[in-house]
Amino acid sequence: MIITNNPLVRSTYENAHGVLFVEGNYRDVLVQVRDLVHRRHHLITHPMMGSLKPNETPYRSVIVSDEPQKNVDVDSVLIIEEAILVFDRFTKTARSDRGTGSTEKMKEDFREIDLSLLGSALNK
Amino acid sequence: MKLEVGYIPIRDIRFGPESKVDNNVLYVNKRELSALILADEGIASVALDLARPGESVRITPVKDVIEPRVKVSGTGGIFPGWCAKVRTVGEGKTHVLKGAAVVTTGKVVGFQEGIIDMSGEGAQYTPFSKLNSLVLVIQPKEGTESHAYEKSLRLAGLKTAEYLGKLAEHLEPEEVHTYETLSVTEGIKKYPELPRVGYVLMLQSQGLLHDTYVYGVDAKQTLPTLIGPTELMDGAIVSGNCVSACDKNTTYHHLNNPVVEDLFSEHGKALNFTGLIITNENVYLADKERSSDRTAELCAYLGLDGVIISQEGFGNPDADLIMNCRKIEAKGIRTVIITDEYAGQDGASQSLADADAAADAVVTGGNANMVIHLPAMDRVIGSIDRVDHIAGGWSGSLKEDGTITAELQVITGATNELGFNTLSAR
Repeated sequence: MIITNNPLVRSTYENAHGVLFVEGNYRDVLVQVRDLVHRRHHLITHPMMGSLKPNETPYRSVIVSDEPQKNVDVDSVLIIEEAILVFDRFTKTARSDRGTGSTEKMKEDFREIDLSLLGSALNK
Repeated sequence: MKLEVGYIPIRDIRFGPESKVDNNVLYVNKRELSALILADEGIASVALDLARPGESVRITPVKDVIEPRVKVSGTGGIFPGWCAKVRTVGEGKTHVLKGAAVVTTGKVVGFQEGIIDMSGEGAQYTPFSKLNSLVLVIQPKEGTESHAYEKSLRLAGLKTAEYLGKLAEHLEPEEVHTYETLSVTEGIKKYPELPRVGYVLMLQSQGLLHDTYVYGVDAKQTLPTLIGPTELMDGAIVSGNCVSACDKNTTYHHLNNPVVEDLFSEHGKALNFTGLIITNENVYLADKERSSDRTAELCAYLGLDGVIISQEGFGNPDADLIMNCRKIEAKGIRTVIITDEYAGQDGASQSLADADAAADAVVTGGNANMVIHLPAMDRVIGSIDRVDHIAGGWSGSLKEDGTITAELQVITGATNELGFNTLSAR
């Protein structure tokens, strides 16, 4: 299941995979993923994929297991909590607009990069 | 596997009627080279420019930096899988235009990053300010999609470096360095008392603007493998990575990997440089697990006593780095990791996004969040308008007078995680 706030990811994958679209920012996606991880979904992709900084791109997509598993995956918990801490650290300093203030053309690029990073896991 | 690398020092670069190297000056025939680059149908235009050390010049956004090289003898050619067939390289003789570079720029995406200043404060933070550079500013044809444009830019850089490198084919090098890799059994026989040390080179491999290629193959599709260290010197590894300007490995870095250089220089003295393992940094968590497992198995198989692990990029590669470290240490092999830090502008925050007690020996390339001030330059090659939006910049980073206040991460190569930079800690 893909958790995303990227409309391009939604339109590309909504027929092939489960997509949970988040009307919100990068952090809202991470929080949604955290909640699912605590409800025994396991992380499939790393929530900090790519080298774009959390205060740079407005978009984020993460894949978790479709179904809740038998146990909470401790590694998944640690990874997603760490990702939220890193996000908060980055947005505390410069550039608090998290890319939301960028031009439409640039947002288009951010959406495409996010799609490409996710695709590198999905198209294997 | 033995390689002799001959240096032809380049002290200046100029345009001229004939491409040649004369008296340590690199002359470039603009028209001939432009025609070569424009043979790629995806490219609409190319502007060639020169940047020399000490000049008041800012190059941005930098995509890749490449060193011109040519194979003089031995199998294969420079940049196998791209400019030459995929035959194994790394033995025979190679000539290098030392002190020269090809720098590619072009905005694949709007927020493209990476600054090289040839003088002023910024020049101190990038090793590329010391190179006589030919800069390619490349525009794609209308409607070219980002992946195709990235590839065109990458190939234009490699083709140009190959074109310039060939000028050195029949020149007499002023300096020759010889590197020899023994087989595993030869190494044990020759240096039975020395600790066996390996190097795990992690390659960024996650998608558009985040890729690295090995003999033409996308690294995210590979399993960790052994590669001869001298193969790197002939361009077996090529960068398609443009994100995280400060800590990505350009093709120049791969050709001149300082960890490889230092391990060779200590080989037979303090240690036995036993092998180089390349591994990837994928998005998929199962890939991270698989690749780090394989890497640790290869280290154990080689009977290593110690391993140096270098990282590339920011964020999730921290997870790969720590997994590699933890699993190799669990085999009873000591490790040293090389990384950089995002510790906040005051340097007070946790530096990495992951940690483990096994990672108790760390070399850092510096804090990428450190704030720096760059003076205005007389000339900008490329385009400067997006500095406010790139990583390490913020609204108002670029002042009207051309000065820039931003984080160190805007500078290409500043906190490189191979240790190829000028920062140190006291």
